[in-house]
Amino acid sequence: MTTTSYGIEYTKVAELKGPLMIIDGVTKVSFDELVEIETVDGEHRLGRVLEVGFGKAIVQVFEGTTGLTITGTKAKFTGKTMEMPVSQELLGRVFDGLGKPNDGLPDPIADRFVDVNGEPMNPERREYPTSFIQTGVSVIDGMLTLVRGQKLPIFSGSGMAHNILAAQIARQASVVGTKEDFAVVFAAIGVQYSEAQYFKRSLEESGALRRSVLFLNLADDPAIERIITPRVALTVAEYLAFDLGMHVLAILTDMTNYAEALREISAAREEVPGRKGYPGYLYTDLANNYERAGRIKGKNGSVTQVPILSMPADDITHPIPDLTGYITEGQIVLGRDLFRKGIYPPVNVLMSLSRLMKDGVGEGKTRSDHMEVGNQLYDAYSRAQEVRALSEIVGRAGLTGIDLKYLDVGDKFEQHFLKQAPDENRTLEETLTRAWDVLSGLPEGELTKIKEKHVRQYYKG
Amino acid sequence: MSSNSALERMIGKVLDQKEAELISQIDSAYQESLDNLESSRGKLEAERTRIVEAARKQAENLKRQIIGSARLAARNQELLTIENAVNKAFEEAKKKLQASNSQDSYKELLKHMIEESISAVGGSNAVIIECNKNDAELVRKVVSELQNSGKVQQARVSDQYIDVLGGIRIKSADGTMTYDNTLDSRIERLKPLIRKNIAQMLRGVE
Repeated sequence: MTTTSYGIEYTKVAELKGPLMIIDGVTKVSFDELVEIETVDGEHRLGRVLEVGFGKAIVQVFEGTTGLTITGTKAKFTGKTMEMPVSQELLGRVFDGLGKPNDGLPDPIADRFVDVNGEPMNPERREYPTSFIQTGVSVIDGMLTLVRGQKLPIFSGSGMAHNILAAQIARQASVVGTKEDFAVVFAAIGVQYSEAQYFKRSLEESGALRRSVLFLNLADDPAIERIITPRVALTVAEYLAFDLGMHVLAILTDMTNYAEALREISAAREEVPGRKGYPGYLYTDLANNYERAGRIKGKNGSVTQVPILSMPADDITHPIPDLTGYITEGQIVLGRDLFRKGIYPPVNVLMSLSRLMKDGVGEGKTRSDHMEVGNQLYDAYSRAQEVRALSEIVGRAGLTGIDLKYLDVGDKFEQHFLKQAPDENRTLEETLTRAWDVLSGLPEGELTKIKEKHVRQYYKG
Repeated sequence: MSSNSALERMIGKVLDQKEAELISQIDSAYQESLDNLESSRGKLEAERTRIVEAARKQAENLKRQIIGSARLAARNQELLTIENAVNKAFEEAKKKLQASNSQDSYKELLKHMIEESISAVGGSNAVIIECNKNDAELVRKVVSELQNSGKVQQARVSDQYIDVLGGIRIKSADGTMTYDNTLDSRIERLKPLIRKNIAQMLRGVE
């Protein structure tokens, strides 16, 4: 007979402490085991075992412990870790932060059930990412190219347009010149209701929902749920990529809310706090999520990650962006000055970098002049910024002819290349044409980073 | 007389000059108009191409969006239909299960369930067994048989009946541990797997 052993229900709750519930007299309980909790009113919640020992189990309750009581609360240890049902049917569906349907449709019929903690990718089997993903956003495609299998975070600040950019990338992202399937897994972590509706509507109206899976954890959902949201999202991304062979772009916004939830649990467990009260294992925990991006040798699909995080007080040295930067392969930084000037997307290119761009662009991948044009734009804009600072002191009259040209190039870069409507989807060809429009404002001799043959071919001076 | 003809000649000359000047101005204006028309035509053509191109892109997007939404709506309708069919199948299965409680195999199942449950709560024999009213007699008989064979010692069948299809629920004597081994909970546990099988049958997948 098939065993249906399914765990024991305990009623001896010893203590409730923040998001944690301590249960006494437990046996045969494992670390990370899923716990089903029933309140006195019959409401069901989920939790997972954080620690076991001396007949006690510490359970982290995802929906929070508000409303739970010491007497009358039942906790059933299910004998398995938290799993996400996966199948191709997930595409076009909307779930909450724990992976439960949020679109009025039934539970997905699963091909299989996968542990949300994922399996670490064998480093030896990792394949180096080298193929381009087009986002339709000039500054990203042209200068900070995203490569399939890369993890490229967006560092933003409170109130800036990161969510609009995230939705735009989700709508527009595609793999060009190939018929391989592409999917977007979008995890909104601790976002406002209006933002969640915006993401959903934006994908629905653009017809992109059909190839997307949405996980929406709202700001008024218990903070602890946020621990699970990126995990269920990445589990689905891995399934779509490595089981179904799709190229998956996983957008996680906002990872700062995730780290806050981690801090809350750590405080409740009375762990020794690290920088700014975050747990000492913040780096490891973030790496566990970010390192789920990549490609595997012998498999068609890929998981590309764009985690978005808002830097508290725009501080790039804050532990969350700081540690994220160690793990990921570059960063896209949104600038407050550009945002105030009304430039969208307000990407501060001088602080941004895509470390894998060099391997994903050029002849046979995008266009032969792509890398050179990107480098020259960096150089020109950097010089323009210096000249701007100088003109603040000496005035335009004090600038040389070439300085004035750089000043104009800086303005044109922001207005013609960087600035883009949130619903404008530019092809790479269009992006590079605009880049040449900007660079052609300089004398030919200034284009030192571009090969002569490309200057001859594309320069419009 | 001669002064008049000189005046007329002069007037004629001025008129000729003016005429030539005007004709030249008209010619150049005409030429300018033609040039303007030509360049406007080019601009107009470019503008027309831009508008047509933008409209084509928009139409393509709209088409993609409409087709995408329609496909999604159809898929969602399919999911709901399958779910309804799956639920009906479960209802039917539950009815059949309820009707099969009198069979011999059910007695064997109960025996297995009691042994499994006691082992799950740590092998403690001091347990309370709960079941539905219809099964109470059979459960008591099975417990008595198990006690006679020495497999179970301090088990007691509760007089408080539970509203389930069948099977049993075991509680430790102090009430702090419960193991639910009812048919209802077994169905719930296996439901995700059974749903997949039913859905495959409905879709004609082998």
